[in-house]
Formats: sequence, C-alpha cells, structure tokens
Amino acid sequence: MNLPLNIDWQQILLHLLNFVILFGILFFFLYKPVKDFMDKREESYKKQRDDAKNALDEAERIKAEYEGKIAGAEEEISAMKAEAGAKTAEERTRMLEQTKTEAAGILEAAKKRGEIEHDKIIAEAQQEIADIVTTATEKIVLSADVSKSYDEFLKSAEGNAKNE
Amino acid sequence: MSRKKRIICIVFFFVVVTFLLAGIILLGTPKPRPESLSETMRDAVMHETMKVDLFGLTVNPGLISAFTVTGIIGVFCLIIRIFVIPRFTEIPGKFQMFLETIVGLFRNLAKTNSPHKNDLLSAYIFTAGVYIFVGTIFELFGFQAVTTSGASVALPAPLSDINGAICMGCTSYLFILLGGLFNNGIKGLLGGLKEFSLPLSMSFRLFGALLSGALVTELVYYYMTLSIVLPVLVGVLFTLLHALIQAYVLTLLVSMFYGEVSEKAPPKEKKKKKQKNKESKDKDQSINNIITPEVSK
Repeated sequence: MNLPLNIDWQQILLHLLNFVILFGILFFFLYKPVKDFMDKREESYKKQRDDAKNALDEAERIKAEYEGKIAGAEEEISAMKAEAGAKTAEERTRMLEQTKTEAAGILEAAKKRGEIEHDKIIAEAQQEIADIVTTATEKIVLSADVSKSYDEFLKSAEGNAKNE
Repeated sequence: MSRKKRIICIVFFFVVVTFLLAGIILLGTPKPRPESLSETMRDAVMHETMKVDLFGLTVNPGLISAFTVTGIIGVFCLIIRIFVIPRFTEIPGKFQMFLETIVGLFRNLAKTNSPHKNDLLSAYIFTAGVYIFVGTIFELFGFQAVTTSGASVALPAPLSDINGAICMGCTSYLFILLGGLFNNGIKGLLGGLKEFSLPLSMSFRLFGALLSGALVTELVYYYMTLSIVLPVLVGVLFTLLHALIQAYVLTLLVSMFYGEVSEKAPPKEKKKKKQKNKESKDKDQSINNIITPEVSK
C-alpha cells in the first residue's frame, strides 16, 4: 500500500517499538526510582512535621495546664490576702472598741475621784469655816466689843478667803 | 600586556581572518553538489533516496536516529540507576537536584492538568518529553549513517521523520483514549473520540515543527557562503527552541486532554448543585436585605 509522504506502517510500528522500549527503560531506571525517593523523602518530612506538631501540641497542653494551676494559686493567694485584711480590720475595730471602753472607764473613774475629792475639799472647807466662825465668835464673845468683834470677824473671813 | 602588543595582536587576528576569507572566496566555485537543492529538500521530507539498511530492512534515517536515541538514553539511565540513584541523599546534590527537577516538572504538569488520575500520565509525559527533547538535541551532534547507496547521511531528529511523528501523535491519542476508557468507562472513551482530529494535529505539529528546523538548517548549509556564522544562530537556536517548545507542547496537550477525559462526572454535578444552592441562597438573602434592611443590619 502506497501512502502519501512515504508513510510506512512497518516503520511506524518500529518507531512504536522503539518508544515502548524507551518507556520501559525510562520508567524502570529513572522515573520510578527518583519518584520513589522523592515520595519517601516527602513522607519522612511529613512524619517529622507531624511529630513536631504533636510535640508542640503536648507542650501547649502542659503549658495551659500549668497556667491554669498558676491562676488558681494566684486566686487562692488573693483570697487569703482578702481574708487576712478582713481579719486585721476586725481586730482593729475590736481593739478600738476596747480602747474606747477602757478610756471611758478611766474617764468615769477620774470623774468620780474628782467629785469625791471635790466633795471632800468642800467638806473640809466648810469644816474650817465652821471652825473659824466658832473661834471668831468665841473671841467676840470674850472681848464683848461688838464693833471690834465685827471687824475681827470680817478680817478672819477675808483671811480665810485669801488662804483658799 | 602592553598597549602596543595588544594592538599588534588585534591587527594580526583581523589580517588572518581577512586572508582566510579572501582565500575561500578566491579559490573559486565549490564542486557541484551531487544533488540539487530541490532534491535535497524533497529528500529531507520524503526520504526517497536516502535509505538506511537496518537488519535487511530499508528504513528512513529517522528510525536509526530513534534507536540511537533510545540506546543513548538507555545507557545513560542504566549508569544513573547503578551509580547515582543508590547514592541519593536527603539533601540533594547538583545532579540529584537536576534529576529531581525533571521528574518533578512532569509530575507537576500532570498533577495540575489532570488532578483526578495522573500516575501513569506523569510517567508517559516524562518519557514523551525526554524523547522529544533528547531526540531533537540529537540532531545537533550530526552522527553519520551509511545509506544503501553508500553515501553518508547525518542522522536527523527522529521526529522529523514522518513515521516517527505519526507514531508519537497516534500513541499519545491512544494513550488519552485508553486513559478515558479505564478511568471513566465508555463515557471517557467517547470523550476522547470526540477529539478525533487530535492524532492528526499532534502528529503533524511535531513533524512540521521539527522538519522546518531541519529544512532551514539544510538550506543554510547548502550555500557555503551562508555557513560561516549563521548556523550557530539558525541551527543551534532553532534546534534548542524546537526541542523545548515541542516537548512542552506535546506533554501539555496530552496531560490536558487526559485530564479532561479522566475527570469523573459525579463530582462535577455536585459542584454545580452546590453552586446553584449558593446562588439561590444569595438571592434569598439579597431579597431579605431589600425587604428588611434594619433586621439584616
């Protein structure tokens, strides 16, 4: 069969045979080993990445856990602080209260003592006045001079007032 | 080197070149070629007279080139398999990087153009790409073969032989058809058959591209006056460009069509449905927005 352009079936088949041989050679000697190597390396990198990711996740988890723990501790500390503050305040109020009561007691006692003292002084003064009056009266009575005795009385009274 | 010496050297160089050119031109007309230009050109296309003997068969020189290319690649691969690949390291060296880049290039091409099924496809386009590239570069080395008439002929690129080009195109088409059939059943096969002009276009694209390079080179070499500096540009650049472009174009086309025929139908429908749902939802939302702008805000 004569085809245009000298196309020859036999030679086409020979070319095909050549191509199939070439395909086999390239596939088994070059393509497949290189591809396998690349895939293997990619796999190993993927594995490494996964491992690293897992480790990172684990670390993150532990970190979160510890952070939680720390936060709990801080809360506890602040609670304790608040409690201590409250206690201190209470103590202070209590002490203040006590001091106030004590002060009031002391004041009361002092007042009482002052009053007693006052009463005592007045009583003594009255006693003295009574004594002076008695003495003066005696003198007046004895001298029997009324005007003189009156003056005497006034003098002695003045003297008493000055002494007080 | 002093300035004077340099000037002397340059002048000497130009004098030598001028003398040589003058001698070449003055020594007269070259011997008439055994065949005329049209005959040379016709033979480059048709291979009528320049036949080579292969174990009793008379074949085109392109076929010898094809077998030689396979032999060279085979030896090369064997050496790589035995000496290089067992010494591959995690961190690649220069040569390993080179090999990995080539393999990775074709794998990526297959993956991007045919995301559903690409294991065999990447191996196929790897082979096809390497074959076209090396086969075209092979032309540059100008290996000689003896024709049946006793003359010598420079081995051309295997694919500048029409039989080689047809073989490549039809194999690629067959590969696409089979890929469709195995991955997608009859539907895939029919999808492939829809592109019935593909084998023709692929074959003749390869043939035309590679032959044009060969013809231009032939033409340039036919006239000696043209063959001083020009072949470096025309021959080498044409060959290199064709090698790259044709290898890329064929592998890209094969992977694109393969991806098309191996694409599974059901996911496509789902996508469409989803899109439709989304669209209708969007519409509803926009209507709601129009009706109750305050609520949506």
